[in-house]
Amino acid sequence: MAGKTLIKVKNIFRTYKLGEIKVPALNDISLEINQGDFLIITGRNGSGKSTLLRQLALVDRPNSGEIYFEEKEVTKMHSNDRRNLRLTRLGYIFQEYALIAELSALENVMLPAMMLEPIKKCRPRAELLLKKMGLQNKMNNLPSQLSGGEQQKVAIARSLINDPEVLFADEPTANLDTFAAKDVLQIFKKLNQDEKHTIVMVTHEKEEEVFANRLIKLEDGKIV
Amino acid sequence: MNRYETRIPFFLMWKYLLRGNKWTLFLIIFLMAIAFINLVFVASLFNGIIRGTEDQIINTYTGHFMITPKTGSDYIENVSTVIEKILTLPEVKGVAPEMQVSGSLEYNKIKGTWPILAIDPDKEKTVTNVSEKMISGEYLNEDDTDKIIIGRQISGGEGVENDAFSFKEAKVGEKVLLNLGQLEKEFTIKGIFYTKFINTDERAFITEKAWQALSPSDNKATAILVRLSEKDGQEAIEKIKALGIDENFITWEDASGLMQSVTGSFLSINFLLTLVGELIAAITIFIVIYIDITAKRKQIGILRAIGIKPYLIRVSYVIQISIYSVAGVLLGTALFFGILVPYFNHFPFSLPIGDARLIVNPADYIIRLETIILVAIGAGLIPAFMVTRMKILDAIWGRN
Repeated sequence: MAGKTLIKVKNIFRTYKLGEIKVPALNDISLEINQGDFLIITGRNGSGKSTLLRQLALVDRPNSGEIYFEEKEVTKMHSNDRRNLRLTRLGYIFQEYALIAELSALENVMLPAMMLEPIKKCRPRAELLLKKMGLQNKMNNLPSQLSGGEQQKVAIARSLINDPEVLFADEPTANLDTFAAKDVLQIFKKLNQDEKHTIVMVTHEKEEEVFANRLIKLEDGKIV
Repeated sequence: MNRYETRIPFFLMWKYLLRGNKWTLFLIIFLMAIAFINLVFVASLFNGIIRGTEDQIINTYTGHFMITPKTGSDYIENVSTVIEKILTLPEVKGVAPEMQVSGSLEYNKIKGTWPILAIDPDKEKTVTNVSEKMISGEYLNEDDTDKIIIGRQISGGEGVENDAFSFKEAKVGEKVLLNLGQLEKEFTIKGIFYTKFINTDERAFITEKAWQALSPSDNKATAILVRLSEKDGQEAIEKIKALGIDENFITWEDASGLMQSVTGSFLSINFLLTLVGELIAAITIFIVIYIDITAKRKQIGILRAIGIKPYLIRVSYVIQISIYSVAGVLLGTALFFGILVPYFNHFPFSLPIGDARLIVNPADYIIRLETIILVAIGAGLIPAFMVTRMKILDAIWGRN
C-alpha cells in the first residue's frame, strides 16, 4: 500500500546551456513520490534521469515548475533552507562516490552529523552504519585505500547518518563490478524494506529494475 | 548557527593539513616565506644603509654633536675650561677639540685643497674611530710635529674613484707640503686611513702641537666634538648650555645635511618598494591559493551537496591560509635571521658612505608580518568566496 505523498513534482523544465546552445534536459515533468517507494528512474544516456534526480534532491533548481517536499514548495526556497533539508531530511549518493579524500571512512560518514550533534553521539552511529556495510575493519582507511564498492558503501553510510526520509542515488553501481553492484543493491533493498527508507535511484541497468516497486522511464526529458 | 557546526572548519582544516599533499603545503609555505623575506629584506637593507650612514657620521665625523663658535666669532675660546665643564656630565664619553687649518697640500707637483684639521690624537680617539681605520702606516702621536695622516680619497690609489682628485698613490713615508699662504711646512705621511665615509676620507690630520708650532694660538678651537653614551644629544646640549657655554651646537643630524635628504629619499623608496612588494605578494599568493582552491572545487561542491554551510567551508580555508602564512612568516624569519643577516654581516654591501648590513626595525618587522598574513587571508578569501558561491553542480563538475 502506498504511503503518504512525500514529494510532488509539477511541470518542471530544466535547460542547460552548452556554450551558446540551449539543451533541454527536462521537459514538463510531473510526478509524485510516496513514502516507502523504491523508485527507479531509467532511460538512455542523456534522457534527463540524473537531471531529474538532482532537482528532487535539491542539488539543482529547475528553470520553471514546482517541487513540493511534504507539501512545502522547495524550488524557490532560500538556498540555506534547501541546504538544511539536504542535511537533515535527504540523502544523496553520487555515481563516483564523492568522498572527501583527506577524511577516513569513519570521518566521511560522521561529517554531516557533526553539523548537528556532538562527536560522542555521532561517532557510535557512524561506526554502526559502517559495520552494517561490512566495513568494520576499514573505518580508518582513507578513500584511496578502499575499493570502488567499499567507497560506495561509505557514501551510502554517509547519506544515512542523519537518518533521512529519502535516499537519492545517481547510478550508484555504474562504477562497480557485478559483485560489488549486487552488494550495494542488496543494501538499498534492505534499507527500503527493513528500515522503510524511501529510495529514488537512477540506473540504466535493466536487471536492477527488479529491486524497484515503481519505475519511471525518461526519454528526451519526458516521462514515457 | 549551532555550537556543533563551529568545529567543522577546524576539523576540515586539520585533516587537510594532516593528510593533504605535503609538497603543495611546503610550496605554499615556502612561497609565503619568500614573499615575507622580500618585504623584510628591502626594509632592512634601507635601515642598514641609513643606520650605517648615521654611525659613520657619528663615529668618524662629528661625534654625537659638535660645538662651534658662537655667531660672530671664529674660534671657541678657553677650550680647556669648556672641555672640563663638559666632562662633568656623566653621559659624556669623550670630547675632542679640532682646529680647522686653512691651507693646501702639495705632493709630487699635485696641489689640492682638502679639509685639514689639527687635533689632539688621544682626545680624538675618545670621540671618533679614525685611529682604528688605518690601512697603511700609523695613527698620530701627541708629539708628532712633522707628521700628517691623510684619508684614502687624498692619497689615491686602487679603488679610489677614477675621476676623484687625489695624490695618485701617495705612500706612507713620502713628503707632502702644507702651504698656508705665507708659510710652508713639509710633513711626512705617517698613515693613511680609510673609514669608507667619503667626507671623512677627504680629510687630513696633523697634531695640535704641529699646528701650535706653525701658528701659535692660545687655547682655541674651531670645533669641539662630543661623544655621548646615547644617540640623542638634545638633553646633553641643554645641560651644557646650562653650564654657561653659549657656543653654537650642531648635532650629527644637523651635520649630515645632504645625507638627510638621501635618508628621506631612501624612506620614500622603501615605502614604494614595500607597496610593490605587498602587491606582488598579494597577487602571487592569490594565484597559488586560487589554484589550490580550484583544485578542490569538486570537494567543496560535495561538501555543499551533503549540507555543509558555505561559510564553514570558507572559514576552514581562512584558518588554513592563516596557518600557511604564520608558518611562512616563521620559515621566512628563520631563513632571514639564520642565513641572510649573518651572510650580510660577513659580506656587507660596500657603499661610498660605508658598509650596509641588514638591520631589522622591530616595528617594521611587525607591520610586514601583519601585512603578509592579512594579504594572504585576503588573497585566499576571494577564491574561497568564488568557489562557495558557484552552483553546486558547477563546482562538482569543474565548470566556470
